[in-house]
Amino acid sequence: MTMATMTAPAQATEAQVRGTAPVRRRRRRTSPVPYLFVAPFLVVFLGFSAYPIGFALQLSFTNWHGAGVLRFTGLANYRYLLTSSDFWGSMVNSGLLWLLVVPAQVLLALVVAVALSRSRLRGPFSASLIAPFVTPLVAMAQVWIILFDKDFGAVNHALAAVGLPAAGWLTTASGARITVALLVLWRTTGYAVILLMAGLTSIPAQVYEAARLDGAGAWTQFWRITVPLTTRTVSFVVVIGTLTVFQLFAEPFVLTGGGPFNATRTAGLYLYKHVTNSDLGLGAANSMLLVVMVFALSLASIRLLRSREER
Amino acid sequence: MTTPSTPPSLSRRTFLRGAGAVALTGGLAAAAGCAPGSTAANKPLAAPSVTAPPSGEITIWDRSGDLFKVFDKAIASFTAKYPKVKVNHLAVDVNAKLPATLISGADVPDGAFYDDALLTGVAPHLQDLTDLVAPYKADIAPYKVGVVTVDGKVVAVPWDLDPGLLFYREDVLTQAGVDPAGLTTYDTLLDAARTVRGKFPAARPIHLENDQFLGQLWLDMFANQQGGALVDAGGKLTVDSDPYRKALTWLDKVRAGGLGTLAKYTQPTDIQTQDAGTQVLVPWAQWFVFAPQQLLQTSKGKWRAVPLPAWQAGGARSGVMGGSSFVIPAKAKNPGLAWRLYEHLVFGKDGYTTVYGPNDVYPGGLNTSVPSYLPALAPDSPLFKPVAELGGQDLWQVAVQAAKQVPGGYRIPVWWSKAVDYLGVNLQKMLAGQMSPQDVLTVSATQIQKNLIDTQ
Repeated sequence: MTMATMTAPAQATEAQVRGTAPVRRRRRRTSPVPYLFVAPFLVVFLGFSAYPIGFALQLSFTNWHGAGVLRFTGLANYRYLLTSSDFWGSMVNSGLLWLLVVPAQVLLALVVAVALSRSRLRGPFSASLIAPFVTPLVAMAQVWIILFDKDFGAVNHALAAVGLPAAGWLTTASGARITVALLVLWRTTGYAVILLMAGLTSIPAQVYEAARLDGAGAWTQFWRITVPLTTRTVSFVVVIGTLTVFQLFAEPFVLTGGGPFNATRTAGLYLYKHVTNSDLGLGAANSMLLVVMVFALSLASIRLLRSREER
Repeated sequence: MTTPSTPPSLSRRTFLRGAGAVALTGGLAAAAGCAPGSTAANKPLAAPSVTAPPSGEITIWDRSGDLFKVFDKAIASFTAKYPKVKVNHLAVDVNAKLPATLISGADVPDGAFYDDALLTGVAPHLQDLTDLVAPYKADIAPYKVGVVTVDGKVVAVPWDLDPGLLFYREDVLTQAGVDPAGLTTYDTLLDAARTVRGKFPAARPIHLENDQFLGQLWLDMFANQQGGALVDAGGKLTVDSDPYRKALTWLDKVRAGGLGTLAKYTQPTDIQTQDAGTQVLVPWAQWFVFAPQQLLQTSKGKWRAVPLPAWQAGGARSGVMGGSSFVIPAKAKNPGLAWRLYEHLVFGKDGYTTVYGPNDVYPGGLNTSVPSYLPALAPDSPLFKPVAELGGQDLWQVAVQAAKQVPGGYRIPVWWSKAVDYLGVNLQKMLAGQMSPQDVLTVSATQIQKNLIDTQ
């Protein structure tokens, strides 16, 4: 009896559950209203994202040139690209630019963000960080070309003034890569600073206060508090930087045209050439390979930068 | 007791299946315009009716900048003649936008200005104009006929001819004691450069092009001048041949002898050295004249032009560098009307006289090229006036004389612009002292064959 008394409510609840839950589930399943709400997104997503991606994937197995019959060529495009010195050359160029841009950008942005977060001039400076973003790139590239001209540029004049030899900023492979990297840094570091400043504001002031009470100096606070607690933001900045560099197109296009000697022909610029040459199959295969590589790189960056606790 | 009515059953799977079908149908419908094989069949475009005056609306793309303004005025002469025609004239970065537009099939213009060097790459998307151009063919410069003919079909209305000329600083050559009339072969040009440097040790008299794309275009001008081209009539690669070898060897001599200024066309080094009088001999297309008119400062009025030197005594004194034509896309809504416009601009005296005649941008007339339509090239009927920035020289006479010597039989292969990554780059390596002329030819031939021809 006791047992019965004790179990009765439970049985009732179970019956209740048995009785009502399927009804609710059935109602949820049969009502089209939620689907109608998501339908606009779904249609747009399928039409403008899923379909183009699917079509690009299909194209990557063809030699279609934008007109004529679509002929399947299997893995020929992938085989060609993976054994092409041009493709790997563009990847190496992007890799070198990544090395020149991303670490410098993170370091620079972190230092500036920390300095600004403690400054009263934070507001006006933050606004100025946006300026490179809104300045037309073509105009800036022209300024860069004039500044970095080997014979008549201000940069080489400045170097000469301190007794250093002139450099071929736009005429040698290494010089051109550095010049493109400087333009990218100039344009994108402000954005990274803003992201990191947002990350810094999420660090509670009490943490610094406690550290100060424990006798930690500014340097120790930076290394022991700021850097570890902004790791997630730094990871985000690195991922964004990686995506930017591997899709980099406009800067080398207007500054160097990919030269000299294809030294600044980035993965993005190489991809563009396929499209403008109507090599759509090859271009699609190239973009698929690029997606895989950028995804892998981004994943590796995130894993490397994950905090010890997260691991 | 009645069973409560319930909405018709719609499982998630059913919904997704339905949505998928809708999306697929929509996607296929949207893609129909750009699906493989959907470009209109290239049946030759028929001549429009002549019984009724033309009427309708067309959209025409021209390159933004000076030429857009020039064509704007010329189009006005067409609409004045045919008032029932409305022309939407748009300034567009045609080279960048046209290929993608032709492929997507969306907002395709009825006609567009397009670089000859890029023409073969978009040829499958263009109207076949063979029948329409046929009555004029005998009067078009042979070089240009070859350029606009792809797989036996005329795919563009041939517009201008850009003959190579030798531009020189008249003041500097006079001071150095060089007679420009004696610059009849490339050997004499080399001697002249040595003489100038002997007089002015800082001089690097001859221009050496430092841009990959323009460098290849420039090299092709030298080859065309000798009757050469990257491919022969059968489409076989002919880059490793005497015309290219001769041109490269000469350029390498200029480099090795310290007789050249390596600079990108119109970039700071180029402009500064030309103004400073250290770069004084520029074998380039007629459109170099743009620089003295618009960019150069202190050397304005000191430049002159003569036909290019010949590669051997008595040889042709010009080759072509660049040029443009008008294309009518296969998917154009009103191709017949676009043809009427281009027929007026290219083959009609009113049309080409307006295009090349005085306008706001070029008060003395458009002098950066000459028509490829030979009846327009009458020496005694200049379309543009003498150029003040060339010291009042009658550039028309020089350009017409050069244009008539341009060898024909030139073909632009489909992969011309892609070859810049090989031939254009290797030329730059040679100019940087990293490759020999023969290396440029051997390596470029291998690369082009492997990457551009074998993969077609």
